[in-house]
Amino acid sequence: MTLNRRDFVAGAAAIGLAAPLPLGRALAQEKVIRLGMPQDFTRVYTFVTAEYSQGQRDYFTLINDRGGINGHKLLAEVSDHGNDVPRAIEAYERLKQQGAVLIDPLSTPVARALVPRALQDQINMLTTLSGRSDAADGSVFPYVMPLSPNYWTQAGILVDFFRQQDKDLKGKRIVLVHIDTPFGREPLPVFQALGKKLGYEFQAFPYTPPGNDQSAIWPQVRRARPDWVVFWGAGVGQTVALSEAVRNGIRMDRVSSSVWLSESDMEVAGKSETKGVLKFEACAGGREPKLIQEILKDVVGKGKGAGPEGKVGTSYYNIGVMMAAIITEGVRVAFQKAPNGPVTGPWLNEGLRAITNFTAEGLMPPMTSTKADHQGGGRGRVVRWDGAKFVPATDWFTANQDLVWDEIRKASAEFKASGK
Amino acid sequence: MDYLLLGELAINGALVGLMYALVAAGIVLVYKTSGLANLAQGAIAMMGAYLTWAVATGLGAPMALAIVLALAMMFVVGLLIERLALRRMAGQPVIMAIMLTLGLEIMLRGLLPGVFGAAVKRLDVGIPQAPVFVGELLVNRATLYGGIISAGVILVSMLIFNSRLGVFMRAVSDDQTASWSVGIRVERAIAVAWGLAAVTATVSGILWGSTQGVDWSLSLLLIKALAIAILGGLDSIPGVLIAGLIVGVAESLATGLIDPLVGGGTRDIVASVIILLTLLIKPHGLFGREHIERV
Repeated sequence: MTLNRRDFVAGAAAIGLAAPLPLGRALAQEKVIRLGMPQDFTRVYTFVTAEYSQGQRDYFTLINDRGGINGHKLLAEVSDHGNDVPRAIEAYERLKQQGAVLIDPLSTPVARALVPRALQDQINMLTTLSGRSDAADGSVFPYVMPLSPNYWTQAGILVDFFRQQDKDLKGKRIVLVHIDTPFGREPLPVFQALGKKLGYEFQAFPYTPPGNDQSAIWPQVRRARPDWVVFWGAGVGQTVALSEAVRNGIRMDRVSSSVWLSESDMEVAGKSETKGVLKFEACAGGREPKLIQEILKDVVGKGKGAGPEGKVGTSYYNIGVMMAAIITEGVRVAFQKAPNGPVTGPWLNEGLRAITNFTAEGLMPPMTSTKADHQGGGRGRVVRWDGAKFVPATDWFTANQDLVWDEIRKASAEFKASGK
Repeated sequence: MDYLLLGELAINGALVGLMYALVAAGIVLVYKTSGLANLAQGAIAMMGAYLTWAVATGLGAPMALAIVLALAMMFVVGLLIERLALRRMAGQPVIMAIMLTLGLEIMLRGLLPGVFGAAVKRLDVGIPQAPVFVGELLVNRATLYGGIISAGVILVSMLIFNSRLGVFMRAVSDDQTASWSVGIRVERAIAVAWGLAAVTATVSGILWGSTQGVDWSLSLLLIKALAIAILGGLDSIPGVLIAGLIVGVAESLATGLIDPLVGGGTRDIVASVIILLTLLIKPHGLFGREHIERV
């Protein structure tokens, strides 16, 4: 028997038309909660997205393989918005049509652009360690969910760590080397306000994005004779800052970063040369936490991992796991409050804003979210690079929250008044 | 005023400028031979750095061998760009060929991070990180080595242009038809220029890659290189050496002197201001030849 071209095309067309039908029915029968993960895999946030997304997907696989939550599977719809606002809006609208109850764009400019839509459409928007710091004010941003320490809290915790080390910061000098973008400028008010309160001198050195050439910045930093240096950027800006700090002879144990510093950054800058560097940490890194062990055994071990096994347990992977665990906890609490749903944005919102003392089995500090506090308490810790990995330099703690919340309320009031 | 700081900024700026000048030298090589502005030079530098990293880590080759292999491969890449893309543009308006190089730049900038992974990669060529002190002046060791190597490669390029091959290249640049008529193989001369431009770009990509890590942002070297090539004169290799020093020192001092007054961000403006002012005041640059057409 021979197959002519017309029969082949007709057969292929018939298969193509028929195939989606049973699949569609199967999906319709399965109870799913759609979570939109349009993220930047190709442009600016490439330093974090792949590992973050891998952690999220591995955690959802773990939960779904165990039967999901209340018989519902958590379906993560992953796509690439390339940090491009029009593409992100297109993805958001598509996900809205498909019934997504949460969006996680992992990009400050995209999150900022989506705020009015999320508020209007009542779709929960996760802004993990990014986006607007004032979104911690749940009374003004009911559907914007940082659920993680914002940049002001990170600055407040780092300064408090410096105070703990030096006993008193009066007369000391703290220098901030930051990328010259809204994200890089975000911590400035907290450093300045704390300087007035604690008596240290503050100096900021902005560098042009993306920060691949900072050779003229660091001689100035060195000449300023700082007691503490904080560098605040992302991607290549972080590795260059760290390398230039080494080349300019800055003491590594007096240099610290926001949360956006990873093991791979340390490898680029030199693992041994950067020994002693500090950073803020929102959740435990490494493979020791119980959840990571479970993922290694039940997901990666069974060949269901979403990415390279070598990335399991990196800082950004674990942040992904942490945020997936928080979403899952929100779903669980939402079911507790309204077991019969319906599964909508407002339904999940009730759960996400009522999480109590959640630690993701020891992966993160206790987190409590309320309708007023979307930051979740603002706890974190400072960790130190020991040449091979980040090790805790403090326990989980929070600091300067009075001042941080002054800033949050000031900015959210401005948004309420102007919509900007 | 802190004169020591100004001294440090000027020295480090001059060395960084020499590193930028090496990228510009590739642009001049191509322009001198074919009359084309190569807007893909930044992406070719990025490609050279990625290749070196891939050979060193993927094949486990020692860094010295990886560099030699990458330079050889990139010379071939340069030849292929000319043979497969540019030569097909013969007879088309020059602007179309320039747009082709821009298209190549955009394509490589998107393609290579996709192939090799977008995360920043470490390229350790063995330059120690510890600073060098000259009295109280700190000199950044990475830029010191980078500046010296760049100046060396630029000087070699000048020697090549004064060799027999260089004379052919210059002849091709002056008049392709006349070159044909005296037996110079025009295509070969242009292809060799592209190959050499890819080699200088690779040396530059390796030096910058070892300084900042290897990622897409290496392609941004194009902007600085263009400023230097335009200021020095698009057909003058000694010009890029001087212009590199001027641009490097100007950028560095602007960061130190003007940034504190205006809140930052002047470094990149310097390059664009230099491009604008040069084109307005001295379009052929400091050392470029003025072409006078007799009608």
